[in-house]
Amino acid sequence: MAEIRIEGVSKVFGDTYAVRNANLTIHDQEFLVLLGPSGCGKTTLLRAVAGLGMADAGQVLIGGRDVTYLPPGERKISMVFQSYAIFPHMTVRDNIGFGLRMSKTSKTEIKRRVDEAAELLHIEDLLERRPADMSGGQRQRVAVARALAMQAEVLLMDEPLSNLDALLRLEMRAELKRLLREVKATTIYVTHDQIEALSMGDRIAVMRDGVIQQCDEPATVYSEPVNQFVGSFIGNPPMNFIDGVLRRVDTGLVAEVGDGFQIPATSEVPDELMPRVDAPIRLGIRAESMVTSAEPAEGAIEVVISVVEPLGAQNLLTIDLGDNRLKVSTHPSFDVRPGQTVWLQLPAEQIRWIDPADELVLGTGAR
Amino acid sequence: MSIDSEKPAVMDDETPIQERRAPMSWGRIGTYVGAIFVSLWILVPMYFLFSMAFTTQETVRSYPKSVLPFVPFSTSTMRFFLGSEGVAEGLANSLIVAVLALVLSTLLAAPAGYAVARYLFTGRDVFRLAILAVRAFPIVVLSIPLAVLFIRVDMFDSLISVALMHTVLALPTSILVIASVFASVPYELEEAGQVFGASPLQSFRHIVLPLVLPGIAASSVFAFVLSWNEVFAASVLTLENRTLPALLLNSLSESSDAYQFAGGFFLMVPSLIFMFFIRKYLFNMWGQVSK
Amino acid sequence: MVAPTVKRRRPLTPYLLIAPALLFLAAFFGYPMVQGLILAVYDDEAVLPLLEDPGIEAESLGTLPQGTGLTVLDQRANLIDGELTSDLLTEEWFKVSALDSNDQTVEGWAPETRIRIREEADDGTPLAGTVRTKLAAGADPQTTLFQEASESADTAAKLDARTRVRIVDTATLELWFLVTPQDDETEVDQSLEGWAPSRFIQIFGEGELGRVDRGTEGQFTSRFIEKMAEDRFFGPAWRTTLLLMVLILPVQFVLATLMALVIHARLKATSIFLYIYSIPMGMSDLAVGILFFSLFTGNGFINSFLEGIGLIDEPRSFLSIDTRNWIIAAIVLAELWRATSIVMVIIVSGLQSIPDETLEAAELFGASYWQRVRYIMLPLLRPSIQVALILRTILAFQVFAVVIALGGGEVVTVLANETYRQYFALRNTNVASAYAVFILLLSIASAFFYLRAVRTQDELSST
Repeated sequence: MAEIRIEGVSKVFGDTYAVRNANLTIHDQEFLVLLGPSGCGKTTLLRAVAGLGMADAGQVLIGGRDVTYLPPGERKISMVFQSYAIFPHMTVRDNIGFGLRMSKTSKTEIKRRVDEAAELLHIEDLLERRPADMSGGQRQRVAVARALAMQAEVLLMDEPLSNLDALLRLEMRAELKRLLREVKATTIYVTHDQIEALSMGDRIAVMRDGVIQQCDEPATVYSEPVNQFVGSFIGNPPMNFIDGVLRRVDTGLVAEVGDGFQIPATSEVPDELMPRVDAPIRLGIRAESMVTSAEPAEGAIEVVISVVEPLGAQNLLTIDLGDNRLKVSTHPSFDVRPGQTVWLQLPAEQIRWIDPADELVLGTGAR
Repeated sequence: MSIDSEKPAVMDDETPIQERRAPMSWGRIGTYVGAIFVSLWILVPMYFLFSMAFTTQETVRSYPKSVLPFVPFSTSTMRFFLGSEGVAEGLANSLIVAVLALVLSTLLAAPAGYAVARYLFTGRDVFRLAILAVRAFPIVVLSIPLAVLFIRVDMFDSLISVALMHTVLALPTSILVIASVFASVPYELEEAGQVFGASPLQSFRHIVLPLVLPGIAASSVFAFVLSWNEVFAASVLTLENRTLPALLLNSLSESSDAYQFAGGFFLMVPSLIFMFFIRKYLFNMWGQVSK
Repeated sequence: MVAPTVKRRRPLTPYLLIAPALLFLAAFFGYPMVQGLILAVYDDEAVLPLLEDPGIEAESLGTLPQGTGLTVLDQRANLIDGELTSDLLTEEWFKVSALDSNDQTVEGWAPETRIRIREEADDGTPLAGTVRTKLAAGADPQTTLFQEASESADTAAKLDARTRVRIVDTATLELWFLVTPQDDETEVDQSLEGWAPSRFIQIFGEGELGRVDRGTEGQFTSRFIEKMAEDRFFGPAWRTTLLLMVLILPVQFVLATLMALVIHARLKATSIFLYIYSIPMGMSDLAVGILFFSLFTGNGFINSFLEGIGLIDEPRSFLSIDTRNWIIAAIVLAELWRATSIVMVIIVSGLQSIPDETLEAAELFGASYWQRVRYIMLPLLRPSIQVALILRTILAFQVFAVVIALGGGEVVTVLANETYRQYFALRNTNVASAYAVFILLLSIASAFFYLRAVRTQDELSST
C-alpha cells in the first residue's frame, strides 16, 4: 500500500511561493497527473514529494509514513527525470541497475530485474552500450527502465515525454500507460500537455501560480471546470467565454450578449445566479457543445463565419459574437465558407456560468 | 534498352554505398598548406634546440651547424648539464615545488569550483569576478610583496614559499576550469543518484567524480606546468634553493651554450607531454572568460 | 486562507566550500598586495626622532628626515638596547678595582678612554691596566669611577692618573650623540637639538659631522617613485616595453586569428594541429628565450643557414651590444612564437560560440569565405578579442626572461627586468615595489582602455 498524502505543502524561493499550501491525496496504485503551464509549481511539488528540495511547510506522507524530512533515497520512490539524467559514464545495464546496486541487492537479482525492465521497454539489445551515442527515444526508454527496475511503490515522472518528437511521444504515451497499468505503482506524472493529462491520468490536478485549482477525473475536469483558468487550459480548442449581462425576463433568467441577443438559462440554474440579475456575467461553453445550422432555428443566434479551419476529423469555425471570438467545431460534412451566415445554438445545459470578477464557475462549489 | 539496365535506383543491402565527399577545393588545400606552415614555424625551432641538447658538446660549439637531425647523436651534452653543479638539485626542487603547487591548488580549487558551479549564493558573481581579476594580475607585481612577506615570517628561500606563490598563480584558473567541469555535469544526475538510493556522498563518488576526474586532472596538470615554467617569482623568492628555471636564469651569463640548450630542453619537455593531455580543456580554461 | 509558516534557510555550504580558496588568496594575495603597494610609497625608516636624553625611553624633541646633515655636539656611551649589530659605534667600559689615593680598595666603572690596558689573557680579555693621564689643561686631573657603566651614574670613586687597576668586568656600550642639523639644512628645524643612538647615525671624519643614516619612524613618501623615475634604466625600460607591445600585438592577433580559422576549418588532422599550435602555450618564457638564442647566437642556426645558402661569408653577430635592433627583432619573434597560442585558443573558443547556422545563413546569401570572416566572424569575435587583448597586454608588461636570455638585460631592458634588478641586484625593495606598482597601473589602464575602445565602437556602429 502506497498512498501519497500531501498535506499543506508550501515551497518558497526567495519571496515568491512556488507551491502554496498544496493538499492532495493520491490513492494506492492511482495515476495522478499534475498539470499546469510552465512555472506553475508542478515540478516543484513533485520534487518535494521526491525529497529533492525539502518542503518549507507541510508534510508528505507515503504509505502512512511521514517522509517530509527523509532524503530521497530513503523514501522508497523511483523517478523519471525530464532530461532523463542517464549517467553518461555507465553502460545502460549499469544505469538501470544503479538503484539496485545502491541498495546492495544481490548480483543475480540485479541481473534478473535489469533484464526484466529492459524487456518491458524493448531495449535488451542496448544493455551493453553507453548512452553517448543513443537517440532521445532510446535514452527515454533507459530512464523509464531504470525507474521500473527499482519496483518502488511510488513512481514519479517529471515531463518524461516532453523531449521527444511528436510521433514518438504519441507512441510512448500509450506504452507508458500500458506499462504503468502493469507495474501497479502509485504514480505522479507532471506534464504541461493537457492531452497527455486527459489521456493518461486517473485523476488530474490542475495547478496555477503554485496553487492546486482542481483535482478530479479527466472527464469532470474537462466538462465541469471550477474556474475560467481550468476551462481555458484544458481542451483544444479551449473553452469559449462570452461576456454578457444577466437579466430576468418572463421566461426566467437570460444572459444578454452581443447586440441584445438573449441566451436562456435552464431551469436548474445555480442558486448563486439569482442575486446577480442586472450584473455582468460570463458564459463558458465548449466548442463542440454548440450547434450550428445553415438555416434559422428556434433560439439560435445569427452569426457570420470569419475563418474556417478544416482539421480532418472536424472543422473549426471562428465566429465573432459581439466582442467575443468563439471557436466552434462542426462535422466536416457541414460545408460552410468564410463570410457565410449561420445560426448558432448554445444549449443551456452545456453553459457554465462564471463570475467575471473572480473567474470562478458558479454552482461547482468552488467558492 | 535492355531489361538489365533498368535496375531500381534503390540500392539493395549487399552493395553498400560510399559516403560522398565534396571534392577537395583550392581553398581547402590552401588551408592545409597554411596549417602545415604554422606547424613548421612552431616545430622547427624546437627541433633545432632538441638536436643541440642531444649531440656532442663539440657540435654545440661548432660552426656552421648541420640541419640534419641529431648528428652526431650523443648524450654528452645532456650528461654534462645534469652533472653540473646545482642542476640535479634544481630539477628536484622544481619537481617538489610543482607537485606541491599541483596538490595545493587542486585541493583548494575543487571545493570552490564545485560551489561556483552548483550553488547560487549571494556574492557568487563577486567571487567569480575577483577570481578573474586575480588571474589577470601581473606575476611581477605580486612577487616583490610576497618576498617581503616571506622574509618577515622567515620563510624566504624555501621551496614551500615558491609553491605557495605558484598556487596563487594557478588557483584562479583551476577554480574556473573545475567550475566549468562541474557545471558540465547536470545536477539532475546527482539528484537521480539520490532518488535511486545513493547518499549525497555516494552519489558524488559514483556519478560526479568519474565524470569530472579528467577535467580536474587537466587543471592539476596545468598547475604543474605553470609552476615548472615560472621564472620571475622563483628567482625573487629563492637564493640557494633555486628551481630549475631560476637556476638557469641566474647562470645564463656565465654558462656555456651546451648547458643552456640542455636546460632549455628540460624546461620544454613537460609542456610537450602535458599539452597533449589537456588540449581538450584549453577551451575550458580560456573560453569562458569572454562569456 | 492562512499563509503557511515558512522556514527561510540561507545555505552555508557554498561559503564553506569557497572559504579555503578565499582565505588562501587573502593571505597570499590580498595581504601581500596591500603591503606591496604600501612599500612603494611608505618609508619605514623615513625620520629619526631626537631624544631629550641619551636613552630609548627619553622624550622625543622632534624628528629629522633620513639624510639630514648633522653637527655632533656631544657623545655619551649607553648600555645597548637591542642586539649588537655592525652599524653600532661602541665604547668598552671596564669595571676596575684599585687602591685610591687613600689606599682604600675601590671599585667602579670607567670607559676605555680612561684606562690603558697593560695585561691581557690569551684570548684577549683585559686583565689589568693603568689610569690614563688627562691632558687637557684645567680638567679634573682625577678619573672618575662610576657605580654603573654610564657617565650619568653616581660617582663611585676617583683615581689618580697612572694608578694600576685590576679589570674585573667589561661592558660594551653604545655611543649616543647629541646632534643638531647643520646650518645648510634649511628644510628642517635648525633649533632642534637632541640625542640619538649611533646605529641610526653615520659619523664622518673626526666625529664632529654626521648624517641621519636611517630613521625609526615611517612616513609616506614619493621618494621611491622619484628614485624610480630618475633611474637611468627607467626610460629605456618602459619605452622598450611599449615598443615591444606595438611591434608584437598586431602581428600576433592577425597570426592568432589565422591559426584559429585553421582550427575552426575542421580539417582532418585538426586535433594534431591544435596540439602543435598549443605547445608554446605551456612553455616558459625562459625556455623560449633559450630556444631563440640557439637560433640567433653567433654560431647558431640562422648564421649557419645564411652562410649555407651563400648570403653571408662569415657569421654575423645578432645579439651583441651594438645590435640592439637585432635583439629586439629576436625578442619580437620569440614572443610571437610563444604567446600567440593563448590568443588563438581564446579566439577559437569565441568561434565555437558562433552557431554554425549563422555562418551557413551567410553562405546561403552568397557571402564568400573572407566576407564571412570579415562581416560575421570578426564582429561576433569582438568580446573574445577584447579579452585576449587585455590578457595579452597585461602579459606583455611582464616580459622578462626572454629579454634576459636574448639580450642579457642591459642593452635592451624592460619594466619587469628593472623590477628584478632593483629587488635582486640593488636590494632596493621599495623601488622594486614602485616599479611593480607602475606595471600594475599600466595594466589596469590598458584594460580600461580596451574596454572603452571596444564599447565606443559598439556605440558608433549602433548609431
